[in-house]
Amino acid sequence: MNYIFSLTMSMMEGVQYTVGLFLITVLFSIPLGLALTLLRNSKNGVFRGVTGFYVWLMRGTPLLLQLFFFYFGLPNLPFVGQYLVLGRFEAACITFILNYAAYFCEIFRGGILSVDAGQYEAAQVLGFSKWQTNFKIVFPQMLKVCLPSISNECITLVKDTALITAISVTEILYFAKAAVNRDTNATAYIVAAVFYLIMTYGLTRLFRWLERKFHY
Amino acid sequence: MSMIEVKNLKKSFGGDIVLDGIDFRVEKGQTVSVIGPSGAGKSTMLRCLINLETADGGDICISGNYLMKDGHYVSDKQRRAVCARMGMVFQNFHLFPHLSVLKNLMLAPVNAKKLTHEEAHQKADALLKKVGLDGKQKAMPSELSGGQKQRVAIARALMMEPDLLLFDEPTSALDPQLTGEVLAVIQELARENMTMIVVTHEMGFAKGVSDKILFMGDHRIIEEGTPDEIFNHPKDARITEFVSKIL
Repeated sequence: MNYIFSLTMSMMEGVQYTVGLFLITVLFSIPLGLALTLLRNSKNGVFRGVTGFYVWLMRGTPLLLQLFFFYFGLPNLPFVGQYLVLGRFEAACITFILNYAAYFCEIFRGGILSVDAGQYEAAQVLGFSKWQTNFKIVFPQMLKVCLPSISNECITLVKDTALITAISVTEILYFAKAAVNRDTNATAYIVAAVFYLIMTYGLTRLFRWLERKFHY
Repeated sequence: MSMIEVKNLKKSFGGDIVLDGIDFRVEKGQTVSVIGPSGAGKSTMLRCLINLETADGGDICISGNYLMKDGHYVSDKQRRAVCARMGMVFQNFHLFPHLSVLKNLMLAPVNAKKLTHEEAHQKADALLKKVGLDGKQKAMPSELSGGQKQRVAIARALMMEPDLLLFDEPTSALDPQLTGEVLAVIQELARENMTMIVVTHEMGFAKGVSDKILFMGDHRIIEEGTPDEIFNHPKDARITEFVSKIL
């Protein structure tokens, strides 16, 4: 029991990075994803092409590879590499934001497609500007449709944060792995699993509440 | 000056002609019904008037201001100004499902800075009373019957104080027992001399309420006249045939 308690305490130190990465990623990748969606749906073919390529690139390559690229790869680029040295946590945040924005872009695009064309017509004849139509009519309806997918993505994100142990950010799994190696005892993995389960359970509840709130 | 004046309006989708030179006028205070078989171009014609469809040629002039002249549209800004004088009621209501009835009414005039929040609230209450839905302010659209939804949609259009109201088959999506309550509201507006163009399949309504009827077929206006002229003394055989089928 004392062993489990001491493991828990040591992993608590890692929680700040896990939760920090989660919050920073959610906070920035959702607005970025929304902006990408607007560009992806724009009339301008260049914007559509560039965002399409971006989504293909970020969804089509492993997150772990992207993480290695941003942390280990960038500083080795010729000429500019020396200016691109990132801290471990910074590299993790940038990678996660860019990667998750691509997924959110596609989630929002699907949501916008689900909004009935009649809504745009009603907004037009009532004199709404394009921005008013988006922010007051389209996005709220899109959000309702997207919430289950956003919830799914956020739960995946919690678990994906464990990847940053590969660039030695001292998050939960980092401590668990260290404890297992040190004590040759698998208990630490189970304690870490409980940490993740608690976080994903909280998120599940939060999104269930949000879905009820956005139901109309 | 006519409230609306349309000359030689033309429109095609791809190679298919939908409107083949439409001419008509509507005077202020008139209720004009547009009837005719499906596919005649009635809805497309209405949608061209309020810029939901782009016409290919002709003139559209709303109380002296051109939306389109000789096949050329005016600037975007002028288009918005001309269309702001019109309201439209759709077959499928198109209420905003995420907003309460009250917010559905208030959003447009507040957005356009036409009314303050308080003014819009008062006006919305008054209009809901007028369409017989006082007390439904907080209801969500999903909680209303089709007839109630359409009455909310009419109130929403009236919030912007249009000079001209366009109805695109306002009762076609309703169960027969619900059409009456919607038609009664439109009839009441006709009594108040609201200028209206109503595309409809309700012959009884067209006959009873209209000052003028436009009969459309084969992408043009085949005949226009008073309800008596159209229903009792039609000149064109196609009208006789259509009326005999539907009545």
